[in-house]
Amino acid sequence: MRTVTTISGRMILLLLVWWTLTEGDPSGIGFGLVIVILVTAISVRLFPPGTARIRPMPFCLFVLFFAGRSVTAGIDVARRLLSPSLPVSPGFLTFHLNLPEGGPRWLLANTLSLMPGTLSVSLDGARLDLHCLDTRDPIEADVRAVEQKVARVFGLSLEDSAARAGGKE
Amino acid sequence: MEITQLIQGFLLIAGCVFFAVGTLGLFRFPDTLTRIHALTKVDNLGLGLILLALLLGVPSLAVGMKVVLIWLVALAASATSAHLIARAVRSQDRGRSEGRESHD
Amino acid sequence: MTLMLNAVAAFLLLTLLVALVRIWIGPTPSDRMLASQLFGTTGVALLLVLAEAQASPALRDVALVLALLSVLAIVGFVTRVVRIDGKES
Repeated sequence: MRTVTTISGRMILLLLVWWTLTEGDPSGIGFGLVIVILVTAISVRLFPPGTARIRPMPFCLFVLFFAGRSVTAGIDVARRLLSPSLPVSPGFLTFHLNLPEGGPRWLLANTLSLMPGTLSVSLDGARLDLHCLDTRDPIEADVRAVEQKVARVFGLSLEDSAARAGGKE
Repeated sequence: MEITQLIQGFLLIAGCVFFAVGTLGLFRFPDTLTRIHALTKVDNLGLGLILLALLLGVPSLAVGMKVVLIWLVALAASATSAHLIARAVRSQDRGRSEGRESHD
Repeated sequence: MTLMLNAVAAFLLLTLLVALVRIWIGPTPSDRMLASQLFGTTGVALLLVLAEAQASPALRDVALVLALLSVLAIVGFVTRVVRIDGKES
């Protein structure tokens, strides 16, 4: 049942994308249907349904949170650039993630790149290297907060995050 | 009608300012990694503001959704490129000075 | 409004041109590859503004393709420098 929901959800999403790409022109819909079916088949093969499901409500909240944070990020970097003394002290920080393999880690690494002061450099297993614009900022607390939010998107709980936090080299 | 145009104008100008600051960052920041910070964050905010302005004046829903789709693709592209270049820079630095692990 | 959009397009083109100076002086190949990322954002904004200003919807498709190609260019560059399949050089 879950598989059927996932597959039909993907097909609806892809049809929507096709409709958007053709700007609502109905003449190419037959072609579009064939493509949608093929892409869904490939996506099922590459990302089997049921491994990590995205919860809709937390996901919407996460999108809002992300939008707010990336606006802050832009303003933050712009402020540093425009101040004459150029207040940056770049450096690397390493974190050990508590999120499971795959989608969740990938989402965290990519969103961190667009959030204030952090840029993910390499993701190797559970080890995430970040480049920070200013190592004096409370990066650690920030990353953990985002990690919790990502976990909520996938409906996971990270009870051991406090115990295993740390890893500032 | 007029108020929409006013907001559009404001968003367009703000977007331009952020793009200009992003380009400034390309020159003011000392190394490649910090320049990536400037490009990803500031330019993405600029792109967001300009697209928001365009979204206020789209002729149809489909076109609006297309602009949003392009926005999402550009965001993902930017995050991915930033990550890939940063990783390449780091591995080159490591190769050049083996042993001098760069954490401060 | 069209006048304003054209002005914005011209301004974006100007920032792209200034950024090209950074590519000219380099100094490392990675600095130069930042140009690809720059075209991914500034180029997309420029094309979408032009699509609106000149009423030519085809430019939106160009913007979409540009955003996708900018990543591919960087992937191509990075695979020359780092092995992408896990083991770093």
